[in-house]
Amino acid sequence: MTHALKITNLVKRFGGLVATNDLSFQIEPGQSVGLIGPNGAGKTTVFSQIMGEHRQTSGNIHLFGQEISALSTPARIRHGVSRTYQVPRPFGELNVLENIRVGFMPDSIWQMITRGPNRDKEVELALSVGFSENDLLRTPDELSMGDLRKLEMARTMATAPRVMLLDEVFAGLTVGEIAQIASLIQQMRRDGMTFLMVSHDLKALEPLVDTAIAITYGSKIAEGPFSDVMADPDVRSSYLGAA
Amino acid sequence: MGLRWYNFALWAAFIGGMFLLPEFVSKGTLRTIIFANFLAIFAISWDVLSGRTGYISFGHPFLIGIGAYTTAILSKRFDLPLEYSIPIAVIVTMIAGFIVFLPALRLKGSYFALVTLAFMELMYQLVQVFRPDLTGGTRGISGIQTLTRGAANGYYMSLSLMLAVALSMWLLMRTRVGTALSAIGMNEESVSGSGLNTTKLKLFAFLTSAFVAGLGGAFYVHYLGSIAPRALFDINFLFTIIVAALIGGSSTIVGPMIGAFFLTFLLEYLRPYLPGAERYFIYGGIALLLYMYQPKGMYEIFMQGWAKLRSGRAA
Amino acid sequence: MMQIIVQGLLLSGLYALIAVGFTLIFSVGRILNLAYGAYLMIGGYVYFYISQQLGLPVLAGVLLAAVVGCAAGLLKYQLLVRPLKGDHVAIEISTLILAVVLQAGIVLLFGDSAKVLLPIVPGVTQVAGASVTYNILAASIASWVILISLYLFIRKTHLGRAMQAVSMDKKGAAISGVNADRVNMITWGISGTLGAVAGVFFASYTQLSPSMWVAPLIIAVAVVIVGGIGSIIGTLIVAHIIGFMEIITVAVIAPELRGVFTMLLIIGVLVIRPQGLFGREEI
Repeated sequence: MTHALKITNLVKRFGGLVATNDLSFQIEPGQSVGLIGPNGAGKTTVFSQIMGEHRQTSGNIHLFGQEISALSTPARIRHGVSRTYQVPRPFGELNVLENIRVGFMPDSIWQMITRGPNRDKEVELALSVGFSENDLLRTPDELSMGDLRKLEMARTMATAPRVMLLDEVFAGLTVGEIAQIASLIQQMRRDGMTFLMVSHDLKALEPLVDTAIAITYGSKIAEGPFSDVMADPDVRSSYLGAA
Repeated sequence: MGLRWYNFALWAAFIGGMFLLPEFVSKGTLRTIIFANFLAIFAISWDVLSGRTGYISFGHPFLIGIGAYTTAILSKRFDLPLEYSIPIAVIVTMIAGFIVFLPALRLKGSYFALVTLAFMELMYQLVQVFRPDLTGGTRGISGIQTLTRGAANGYYMSLSLMLAVALSMWLLMRTRVGTALSAIGMNEESVSGSGLNTTKLKLFAFLTSAFVAGLGGAFYVHYLGSIAPRALFDINFLFTIIVAALIGGSSTIVGPMIGAFFLTFLLEYLRPYLPGAERYFIYGGIALLLYMYQPKGMYEIFMQGWAKLRSGRAA
Repeated sequence: MMQIIVQGLLLSGLYALIAVGFTLIFSVGRILNLAYGAYLMIGGYVYFYISQQLGLPVLAGVLLAAVVGCAAGLLKYQLLVRPLKGDHVAIEISTLILAVVLQAGIVLLFGDSAKVLLPIVPGVTQVAGASVTYNILAASIASWVILISLYLFIRKTHLGRAMQAVSMDKKGAAISGVNADRVNMITWGISGTLGAVAGVFFASYTQLSPSMWVAPLIIAVAVVIVGGIGSIIGTLIVAHIIGFMEIITVAVIAPELRGVFTMLLIIGVLVIRPQGLFGREEI
């Protein structure tokens, strides 16, 4: 069976700093994995290498069996992997529907010109992530952080990914907003989406993942069921301090 | 932007009025309006790329100049009829622009702007020394075939061209391409992050911009009947185009038109008081203040005023 | 041959001075100051007014030009850059408009025609067998003195290192207690001063005219693109490459094609190595 995502011996050096240190793991289709570790462990760096925002120093990245390291970021997205960002990056002057519209766009100028947007699909997606009908014409400056996260997820979902990378999707949210996003993620899991999630909010993360991978200083130190990883003494000491 | 019946009615009235204008105004005013029409064409074409995506291009006079020079040379030196020289000029403009700007499009916005600035200077120097037998060197070419005779006919031609350009660009920008290009201007990385190849989009915008610029340049030279590098590859010309698009309202079609007419008439109005370059001081100052106050331009000012009026009436 | 080498060295010194003021702003603030060339124009005209029209000593003219340049830089920062809050596109446009406005202003004050500046230091001399004017010699020496002081300033002083910090990582610098706003303001002041002084020399090398702000801007642009940002040494080296290329082109090929190879170099670098020859950044 082909792994949904397979990272092999990934190394990333920024000058003298080793951000990713010979990291390897795989994720099966439909699985949900939590990527945890203290601040500066290099979790976001792993994401940016998977997405092609940074080129790895060495190592391989396979998406459903295909090596994607030579592809540009948009190309990787078209192949089925998408991510959200810790700081949401919406289009400031477009409303919610228009933001989602960009996510739905095919990478073909001809098609962009000859076919109009599919408003029904846009509305359906917006409502499914939890927007109400009044919100649809709002612009990002009128939205709360929770709404911006939902918008980011909607836009990412519009690209029809098979693997979704979520980067600190709970940061800065109220308890109610966390619950909303969590139930959205659970729904997507039931529909078969593959997830790799980074979060500091371990309580929120636990019910959403099948297994966890713990890293510190760019290296993997534990992998397995969430509670086992959390009980691992090396993982606990990495969180408590490297002093 | 939703279309209501009164939008159509207003435009119909406006266009009708424009076509009737020669009956009512002097030849001098007509010539001014002709210039405004062409400036509107150039401003619209600049805005399609730079206003929308934020990739400020200083190479626009370069594109206009290539279109103008190509058709001038082909028609004057090689006696090619205009039905051929003009379309060829447009194609040559697009090709030249493609070759020259493709390496630049891959760069981030600021670098792109710098490169286009350098290119414009380059063309200015080159066109004076390169094959002066063809280009006419510093003096340029005169005695070029004109398409129309007389102010009124020139006016109809420029007006028709401007309306055609405005309509087609408006239709194009209403499609998802327009949304995508505006999105690039807001947050290019998010557009990549939505799976779209931004270089391809920028290139499309650029070629469209080059198409219209070349077309406008070609018709312009066949209206004027002469051409010189001084007038075309000039910072002031560039400045006029950019300011027209910006203070009129970038990322729209109507905006550059408003800006073009406003600027042209402002310049003409100032002419008896401040002949020469001092006018640029006044309108540059006005432009700067307007831009700092409302970067979205006069179009936005009108829209906000209109919205206030409507909500005031409802209350 | 010697003539070429000597002229090349001297011109490159001047170009380096011109480029450094521009690169500073771009490195520290990532902002394109398209009105940079206007500093040169202002500097040149202030000097002209003070030294030629008023008849005051040469040094006074240069100093006043520097002061006015500094003031111009600070004003620009306060009135244009800060209110626009780092919106790159808006700043590019505003500075361009400003440059044209300033040009028109100069025309209003001084008229449209080009003027020839009396040499700062009159006379001709021989350097290593090639004849050079004292003027360009003084300009180059002054350029080098300024550049070396600037280099030491950036490397050795507290403020200079703060500037380096902000240029590398604005957030990190802020966390370390560096006030980015003040650093930016001071950088703009320095940039204005450098530009104005460079303008005095540049005007005496070529001529004084209201449209003289374009050519130095292009040179500075070329150096930024070819050299990349982040290193003064890189700027120096590239300034020399460009300076020599121009001198050789003028002497050996054709004077009208002077700027052409610079442009071609820009294209070449962009295609092959977009971050510039000495650039520190991934673009």
